[in-house]
Amino acid sequence: MNMRWFPDEMPVPGVNAETNGWWEAAARHRLVVQRCTACDQTRHPPGPICPRCRSTASQWSDLPGTGSVFTYTVVRQAFIPSLADHLPYIVIAVELDQGGGARMVSNLIDIDPFDVSIGMRVDVVWEDMGPQLAVPRFRPATGAASGSATGSTTGSATGTDAKGAHA
Amino acid sequence: MSKRAAGSTACLVGIGETRYAKWGGITDTSEYQLAVDAIVAAVADAGLSMDDVDGLASFADDRNEATFAAADLGLPELRYASMSWLPGGGGSCAAVANAAMAVETGACEVVVVYRSLCQGQFHRFGQGPGGRPPRGPSQGPARVPGIRKARTLLDAHLAFTMPFGMFSPPIAYAMVLQRHMHRFGTTPEQMGQVAVTTRAHAARNPRAVMGSRPMTMDDYLQSRFVSEPFRLFDCCLETDGACAVVVTTHERALDLRQVPVALLGSAQGTPRGFGHGQYANVGMPDDDYTSAGARTVADRLWARTGLGPQDIDVAEIYDHFTGLVLLSLEDFGFCGRGEGGPFALSGALNWPDGAMPINTHGGSLSEAYIHGLNHVVEGVRQIRGDSTCQVEGAETCLVTSAAGVPTSALVLGRR
Repeated sequence: MNMRWFPDEMPVPGVNAETNGWWEAAARHRLVVQRCTACDQTRHPPGPICPRCRSTASQWSDLPGTGSVFTYTVVRQAFIPSLADHLPYIVIAVELDQGGGARMVSNLIDIDPFDVSIGMRVDVVWEDMGPQLAVPRFRPATGAASGSATGSTTGSATGTDAKGAHA
Repeated sequence: MSKRAAGSTACLVGIGETRYAKWGGITDTSEYQLAVDAIVAAVADAGLSMDDVDGLASFADDRNEATFAAADLGLPELRYASMSWLPGGGGSCAAVANAAMAVETGACEVVVVYRSLCQGQFHRFGQGPGGRPPRGPSQGPARVPGIRKARTLLDAHLAFTMPFGMFSPPIAYAMVLQRHMHRFGTTPEQMGQVAVTTRAHAARNPRAVMGSRPMTMDDYLQSRFVSEPFRLFDCCLETDGACAVVVTTHERALDLRQVPVALLGSAQGTPRGFGHGQYANVGMPDDDYTSAGARTVADRLWARTGLGPQDIDVAEIYDHFTGLVLLSLEDFGFCGRGEGGPFALSGALNWPDGAMPINTHGGSLSEAYIHGLNHVVEGVRQIRGDSTCQVEGAETCLVTSAAGVPTSALVLGRR
C-alpha cells in the first residue's frame, strides 16, 4: 500500500546527468549514496568528480536506510497552500548509516514534534509521489535506542564511516 | 602600515537610496526604475556626473542588467560590468570589492554598485516554488508529480531539499540554529536580543520601514513560529527599494564633494566543500555547518587589513536571520566559538554603549532588505559621521554579507 504524508503539490525535483541515477534508484525504493570508485569517499548530492581524489569514477552504493538525526526544524508556516493541512511538519538532516558521513535532507514522520531530538535513530520509508518519483522520508526507528555519534560535537562530512556501528 | 598597503586603495565616494517600503508597497515605480534612481542619487551625492561613470557592478542574479542600465543612463562608454557569483546576499560586499579591483587595476575609473529589490513585483528572493506569488495574474496549473530536467546546477541541488518541504531560507537556517543550540546552548532570548537591538536602532532612522514599530523581548518571544527555532521576528523584512554606492580611486576621491571613505580591505569566498552553503548542503563538517561560513573570509580580511576585531568601531552585520548574526560575530572573532548568544545578550551590540554596536540603521530586520547593500551604505555613513546612530569618532567599520552562503566582507575606514 502506498502511504502518503505530503500533498501532490510538493515541488518536483529537477534532475541532471549527475543526479539522475540517485533518483532512478529512489524510484525503485533503493536509498543510495554516490561513492568514489578510486578512494571510497562518498558525496551527496551527487557530483561529477570526487572532491578528495578528483577521480570521476563513481558508483551507487546501497545503504541500509537507517541513520540518525543531525539536526531538524519543526515547520509551522505553510509555504505552499496545500501544506496548510499538514502543519506542523518536520524537516531533518539525517546522517546515513554506512554513508561515510554523508547526510541528506528529509522529513521525520509519525512522531510528535515535541519528541524529536538530535541524535535519535530513524528508518527510511518511501512515499510514491508520482509514476517515476519516490521520495525517502524517515520515521523513528523501531525498538532502537536514541543517541549516536551524530549527537556529538565532532561529526564531520569526512569523518569515520558509520559502517557496522548501528548494524 | 606595510600590511595596510596590501589592502585596497579604492574609496567609496557616493551613496544613494530610494524610499524603502514594505513588501508590495511600491507599485508606482518599477524595480528597474528604482535601480536607476538609486544610481543617479549616488552619483549626485559623490559630486560626479553620469558622464564620469564607466563601470557598473551588482550581485544576486540581478534582473536589472548593467548593459541595459549603461545604455539607459547614457554612459559615454561602459568599460566594466560584473555581477558576483556569490549567491543572494553573500555578494553585497563582493560587488563593492569587485568594483574596487576594477578601479585599482585601471580597467575603469568610476563604478556604481547597485541593488534594487522589489519583492512585491517579483517572487521573494531565495524562495522556491512555494513562494508568495507576485501581485498579478495567478500562476500556471499545478504540476503533475514526476521527474523533470533541472534548469541549473542549483536547481538540481535543491531537488534534494525542496521535495522535503525545505522551501526557503528560514527553514534551512532554522536547522543550523537548532544544531548551534544543541552544541552551544544558544537560547531564543539570545537570538531575540539581535531583533530587539536592531529595532531600537531603526527607531532613530527615518528611512527604516519598521522605525515606528518598537519591539520588546516579550513581543519577540510572543511572535509566531515560522520554522523552529525561528519566530517571525527572527526573519528579515520583505521590502521594496534600491540603493547604490560609487567606488573610485583614491586619487579621484580626493577631488570630490564627500570626505572619501576608504576601502581598507575586502575578502570573499568559502571554506573547502562549503558549496552553496547550508541552504543546499547539510553534509559539510559540523564546525562549518554551525558557522556563518565566513571564517576563511574573516581570516583573510584581517590579514589584508592588518586589523582585527578589536580594531573595529562599528559593524554592519548581514541579518537575514537573528541567529546567523550570532554566527557571523563568532566567525569574525568578536567572541569565541559558540559564544555569539551570550555576547549579544550582554548588550554588546547596542548603540551607543555596547562594546560592538551593530546594524546602526536597523539592518534587514528593521530598516529594509536590500540584500545588504544598505549595510554598505550605512557603513559609509558611519565613517562620514552621518549615521542616525553615529558611533562617536568611528574610524573603522566592518560590513559583512550573508552568512550561510558563500560570502564576502569589507572594512571601511579613513586613509
